[in-house]
Amino acid sequence: MSEMNHERFEDLKDAYVLDALPEDERRSFEEYISAHPERQAEIDELGAVAGLLAFSPHEQEPSAELRRRVMDVVEAEAEPRRASRRSLFSRLGDYVGARSLALGAAALLVIGLLSWNLLLQEQVQDLRSQAQQSKTIELQGSWAEQGTDAQVAYIGKNQVILVAKNMPSVPDDRTCQIWVIHDGVPDPSGLFQPEGNMTAAAITSSIKKADAIAVTVEPAGGSKKPTSDPVLITEL
Amino acid sequence: MILADEDLISLIETGDAEAFATLYDRHSRSAFSLAYRMMGDRQAAEDLAQDAFLKVWRNAASYRAERGSVRTWVLSIVHNRGIDQLRSTASRRRTQEKIEASAPRSQPSEAFSETWRNSQRDQVREAMGTLPPEQLKILELAYFSGYTHVEISELLSLPLGTVKGRMRLGLKKIRDYFDSRDVAVPR
Repeated sequence: MSEMNHERFEDLKDAYVLDALPEDERRSFEEYISAHPERQAEIDELGAVAGLLAFSPHEQEPSAELRRRVMDVVEAEAEPRRASRRSLFSRLGDYVGARSLALGAAALLVIGLLSWNLLLQEQVQDLRSQAQQSKTIELQGSWAEQGTDAQVAYIGKNQVILVAKNMPSVPDDRTCQIWVIHDGVPDPSGLFQPEGNMTAAAITSSIKKADAIAVTVEPAGGSKKPTSDPVLITEL
Repeated sequence: MILADEDLISLIETGDAEAFATLYDRHSRSAFSLAYRMMGDRQAAEDLAQDAFLKVWRNAASYRAERGSVRTWVLSIVHNRGIDQLRSTASRRRTQEKIEASAPRSQPSEAFSETWRNSQRDQVREAMGTLPPEQLKILELAYFSGYTHVEISELLSLPLGTVKGRMRLGLKKIRDYFDSRDVAVPR
């Protein structure tokens, strides 16, 4: 096998990201990367392209039995740890903070139940009224131009919620994602699905020293970085 | 409230089975589809998907957001474990793939013509549909079937340099597809 050098790196990098190097070449290649960490970003980028192949197979539905089998194991292993761990919902409190927990919880509750119970719209209205009594900032953008009335409202020193009405619906495989932007870098800050006439969502990142807040439409599950233009945005 | 995948991973690290179930429901279809494409058999694909998801459950702390999205991470686990399994049962797969390699193929663009063009998945399929069949075949043999470049060279009776060249051109063409649309490569 030839000694690994720059030329050999260039020659093998495509096979490497496709996981198509024999074991000895793979080890040699990885040793080269370890010795030249400046090449790692190039490999990561190329690996992302190769990784796209994973999305290409035609969709196959896994069986309900598979889910049951997996969850049986997970539940069994989770049980011993459960007592000493905080639950999903108690952890949510971290995002909101003690001072605004009640208001944040109300917002979360409204998001979850809005589509099921029209009576809850009154609670959203109350929430919106409370938000309007504190400092609020209106969001601009293409959705605002189409009639969406969206505001961010301060509920704590550096904490805000997003309250909106007349938001357009998004497809099932898409979700709205909130971004808090510091120095031009967007930080994922919550997901929500517009449902009904009114929507409220907690913004999960601190806005301390933030420059702007934006909302984009992303694939279900959210994105690490925005993949589309903001539909709503405001500077802070 | 809908939690982002990264938040679910944080909760899974603490042993939150409910968070894991949510993550499973979001990504099991993609993971199983990849597993099925690699293994070519429903039972083997389910075993692979189960194995991969249990690794997600037990090793959530090893997820690194800076290396890509949670979905990409989950699929990479499926892929890596699938490659391991394929290579451990290599001789059985070889015969099957040899037959497939020599069989006439439909054009990728036809196979991918049922599009929902706004989705990321269909963008990827469309990008792959732009590849000449000889480049796509080599990417598939490597990525889905676990062949090394040397093995592909032997299987297709091509010079090793040609195999490497087609890998390079194939990946470049997929990247160019996204660049030309001014869209970031999904991660």
